[in-house]
Amino acid sequence: MSVNDLQFLGFVLLSVLLYYLIPGKYRWIVLLTASGIFYLSNGVTAALYMGATVILTYTAGRILDKIVNIKPAGNTPEEKKRQKTRLKHRKYAVLAISLVLNFSTLAVLKYSGFFAQTVNAAAGYDLLPIPSFLLPLGISFYIFQTSGYLMDVQRGKYPAERNFAKYTLFVCYFPQLVQGPINRYDALRAPLFDGNTLDYTNIQAGILRMMLGILKKAMIADVLAPFVETVYAGYGNYPGILSFLAAALYCLQLYCDFSGGVDLLCGVSRLFGVPMAENFEQPYFSTSLADFWRRWHISLGEWMKDYLFYPLAFSPALAKLTKKAKGRLPAEIVKRITPCICTFVVFLAVGIWQGPGWANIAYGLWNGIWMSLGLLWIPFAAKHKDKLPKNTIFLTLWGIFRTNLLVIIGRYLSHAHGASLSMALGMLAHTVVSPGFAAVNSGMLAELGLGAGKILQVTIALAVLFCISLAKEKGVDLRAWFCSRRWYVQFVLLFVGLLLIVLGVYGNDAYTPIAYVYENI
Amino acid sequence: MEKLLEILEDCCPDVDFAAEKNLIDNGILESLDIVMIVNELAQQYDVRIGVENLVPENFNSAEAILALLERLQGEE
Repeated sequence: MSVNDLQFLGFVLLSVLLYYLIPGKYRWIVLLTASGIFYLSNGVTAALYMGATVILTYTAGRILDKIVNIKPAGNTPEEKKRQKTRLKHRKYAVLAISLVLNFSTLAVLKYSGFFAQTVNAAAGYDLLPIPSFLLPLGISFYIFQTSGYLMDVQRGKYPAERNFAKYTLFVCYFPQLVQGPINRYDALRAPLFDGNTLDYTNIQAGILRMMLGILKKAMIADVLAPFVETVYAGYGNYPGILSFLAAALYCLQLYCDFSGGVDLLCGVSRLFGVPMAENFEQPYFSTSLADFWRRWHISLGEWMKDYLFYPLAFSPALAKLTKKAKGRLPAEIVKRITPCICTFVVFLAVGIWQGPGWANIAYGLWNGIWMSLGLLWIPFAAKHKDKLPKNTIFLTLWGIFRTNLLVIIGRYLSHAHGASLSMALGMLAHTVVSPGFAAVNSGMLAELGLGAGKILQVTIALAVLFCISLAKEKGVDLRAWFCSRRWYVQFVLLFVGLLLIVLGVYGNDAYTPIAYVYENI
Repeated sequence: MEKLLEILEDCCPDVDFAAEKNLIDNGILESLDIVMIVNELAQQYDVRIGVENLVPENFNSAEAILALLERLQGEE
């Protein structure tokens, strides 16, 4: 079952009806059943992989919980200390083994082909067979979610879930499976298991969010996709400026595809009264790359911060390095060594997370380098603060322009389905060397799938999205405004919105739903 | 407290650590600031601040940070 088709909407409607029809304490069972049906409809093999993850992480979580709750015994403080150290080592050993096993599924399915290709290229002949696996739906997301859960239990943040069926629901809750967000157990536990009562606000908010998701996905992302795909696949056949246009439009396509999908599924989740983690906060309004990464794929960024950045930042190895650097380097640099290294590693991990291939690694490096340089720049900027112009609209716009330019260049590298480094670099060189402004005309754009009708449709949808985003950025609660209108005004607005979406999507014969970009990563 | 305030202000000169009581909840300190602060405190106070100590309650104010340091020193 695909999230894109009407069958899915019917499935959601039926699940919502059943959810509110049965007594509160059994409602989570409806969610578990619906999630099971949804995942099984995407293939039994995928469900088996997920089952293995659930069993592994449930068991590891219970063991970790037991160790965390053992009180160190001993007659003397020294004995107690020794017991405490032993328990700590045991806890770390269980965590390390379970994380290695958990991530190994992802590593084998997602990266073994790339690894074999790299080894073969280095050897100069086919030393290893190149395996090819179909990635189970949402595997990167649920592996990260369950690994975060294990680390939280190990840190004693919350006790492990004892009920196996409830834990299964936490992992396979269907609105989070397609492309996240990466939810946290402590945030999801109560709304998922407690049996929410029917609340008109939740239904209203859910439907509005779903409509926003459909607007982004069907009226923007899927309309831009054919143009972007065609230019990326054969950039040499077109003037270089179209490569830049394709990269810029890919930024919009990816945002509308990814955040549109998340909006749709967050809306679905809200119908059950389950709020999920937010994943985007108007990223293209960012005034720096650091700001962009705080607003883009927030749940992954938070995951990286809590489970990679901090553990690395507080590791004894980096503490030693900082100590060694003291006295040899300026104090301002010494202070920033750890954050710089950790930031660099985190962005490398984000690049690898995107998928296998050198282009993704280069994408990680591209962001890591700029972010680390940004950190080193802070003390310099602070010293010359008075000489720099004061914050003005011009500076804000300049910041937005500069950031988006860096993001667009990064998107040459990170194009999800064609991640080849040589292609990305070739396309970048083609943009600079032969832009060919004069050769671009409306006929060429129409041939590439961006005729006048499509441009008009995308422009209208983008204008609506821009207004909504700007209102959010300015702190205007559009939903509260909508809800405070009289019921018939709400009805008319909903009707017009739906009509626009239906006409935009189904009034166009050529519309074919496209799978979500991050669906199978 | 004076020594702590001095270290904190050295790490983040723009933050009023003496007055601010919601450093984390209000988003005044970010992950990079926290890393700098924790590394500096670990060295100056000779304590090990682990990831498990990185909860907002421990870093929302200078008083909370001092309480954390005293607790960790007691455990050592």
